[in-house]
Amino acid sequence: MEREVVLSVRDLNVKFRMRKKALHAIRGISLDLYQGESLAIVGESGSGKSVLSKNFIGLLDKNGYVESGTIQFGGKDITHLKEKEWEQIRGGQIAMIMQDPMTSLNPLKSIGWQICEALKYHRKIVGQAAQKKAVELLTDVGITEPETRLKQYPHEFSGGMRQRVAIAIAVACNPQVLICDEPTTALDVTIQAQILNLLKSLKDRYGLTLVFITHDLGVVANIADRIAVMYAGDIVEIGTCDEIFYDPKHPYTWALLSSLPQLGTKGEKLYSIQGTPPNLYLPIRGDAFAPRNPNALAIDYLHRPPYFQVSETHKAKTWLLDSRAPKIAPPEQIQSIRSICFLGGETDGRE
Amino acid sequence: MLWYCVKRLLRSLGSLCIIIVIVFCLLRLMPIEGYFPNYDKMSAQEIQNGLQKMGLTAPLYQQLFHFFGELLHGDLGVSNIYRVDYPIVRIIAQKAPVSIEFGLIAMAISLPLGLVLGVLMAKKKGGFWDQFGTAYIVFIEAVPIMLIYLFLQLYGTGVFHLGILYDSDKPATAILPVLSLALPSVSGYAMWLRRFMVDESNMEYIKFAKAKGVPNNAIWFRHVFRNAMVPLVQLIPGSLLLTIAGSIYVESLYSIPGMGGLLVDVIKRQDNTMVQALVIVFAALSIFGLLLGDILMAIVDPRISLTKKAVSR
Repeated sequence: MEREVVLSVRDLNVKFRMRKKALHAIRGISLDLYQGESLAIVGESGSGKSVLSKNFIGLLDKNGYVESGTIQFGGKDITHLKEKEWEQIRGGQIAMIMQDPMTSLNPLKSIGWQICEALKYHRKIVGQAAQKKAVELLTDVGITEPETRLKQYPHEFSGGMRQRVAIAIAVACNPQVLICDEPTTALDVTIQAQILNLLKSLKDRYGLTLVFITHDLGVVANIADRIAVMYAGDIVEIGTCDEIFYDPKHPYTWALLSSLPQLGTKGEKLYSIQGTPPNLYLPIRGDAFAPRNPNALAIDYLHRPPYFQVSETHKAKTWLLDSRAPKIAPPEQIQSIRSICFLGGETDGRE
Repeated sequence: MLWYCVKRLLRSLGSLCIIIVIVFCLLRLMPIEGYFPNYDKMSAQEIQNGLQKMGLTAPLYQQLFHFFGELLHGDLGVSNIYRVDYPIVRIIAQKAPVSIEFGLIAMAISLPLGLVLGVLMAKKKGGFWDQFGTAYIVFIEAVPIMLIYLFLQLYGTGVFHLGILYDSDKPATAILPVLSLALPSVSGYAMWLRRFMVDESNMEYIKFAKAKGVPNNAIWFRHVFRNAMVPLVQLIPGSLLLTIAGSIYVESLYSIPGMGGLLVDVIKRQDNTMVQALVIVFAALSIFGLLLGDILMAIVDPRISLTKKAVSR
């Protein structure tokens, strides 16, 4: 299965200047994004998943900078582009939707104006043609009576509807890659499912490559082809959806899956990961997760593990995969993950 | 939209009525010397007759009704000391145009300057213009305004070779008073605009607009500036009216025959009816300014015209 690589990250290091100290937010990530796939990046708050994706669209906060590494997109390195060059890529080739649909639209401009604005800069469509295209887009994202809706303002839309509008704006210029930064976190559960289904159908229709940033594993199971698990600014494990859910190798992935509320037994305490994430101001020695890992090996504190290839698509950064390591079985809860209904229905269909 | 305006107008009229009642009642507590130009030389009988003639011996509520009745005809009563038996409305009519002219010219200068400075400051936070503007704002806010006026007059007259006082026949003499009025408001406009623009530029929708590939300049003008003007627009009418009404220092410094010095003058001379009339006029102006600001804001902000519940301020 040789697939075309759309975007390729190599040894990316991103730091933030904070009061004269440097915060090492992305610690040497390498990642390939394939044409037409949907990749989910999961991890707890502060693991760097948003920072990583902001690099793809040149919207890193002002005090952040790429220290080393490259991101290849469309035949060039996009880590040090000028603002003018970014304007070509943003929206036109790589688009993004944000977490909170309530704040991601300009409250003083009509929906139609905001869609047409995107069309104007990338596809040079203006006037009547733009209006027509905007109506089409709204229909595509499932908004009824698009002609009337165009003239309305964001406050006249519900949260789910606004996210649909934001999606319409994002796909307006046929981007190759769509970054979804926790697109359903601010929505209630029934709307979440609708938005996810919408994204899935748009992905096929527009031939999008999706990057999904989320900490909701339920969302991930629903939409992702591949999953990258991030911890402390690094991708500790990456594999297909099935591989990560049914055959996780990294202790952090184990811990993450064990803390799924669906895996808890009634009357027992939910599993939670002990300790706190490492301080990214200080250099990290060895495996960043070792201090919180009950099964940490001595070597975890000394040397940073390399990737161990589990299968063609699956690799993890843990010394447990070394041939000399003791065999530690994953926790019991996640062995039963296959029997959990919330995954069962979805994945059976896919297999 | 219309309904919103009507509601706001009614509410403003309500507050104005309350203010009138309070001012009227308070001024009835003032010493009665204020009704007569030559109180000291009058006998008790003369004073009694005089009060009766002015209707001041009637019960308070009757006086109040009478006053409101007159007010509906546009009559604010007559002056007792400032210009004896001269209608107050006509005194104001002579003085107000001068102040309005100065206020409008000052605003025509300060508003564009302030907006440009505010935009420059917000666009590059920490840059040259931001530091310059901050220094200017701190200077204007920290130094007593009177001192600034005095130095302007002192050095300005020397630089431009002008007389110290305003002379309506020599338009050049208006430069310094207009500058004195304009310079402080520049700092106000710049400060607010910068602040609103910085607020707006940190909003999520600005990031989203960037993510859809809108060029930087377009973002600044069509999103940030446009949205920052909404709260600013609300402040403009009020600040204009205050410039017109409140240029007390400047007008007396250059002896401009405007409204500004009038209130201080009549308070010093205890002309009760004049004080009452002027306080009511100033109150009406401020309320009108707020009302105008709210209506302007409703015009530029689509969210307001469509909400059923008007936001009270």
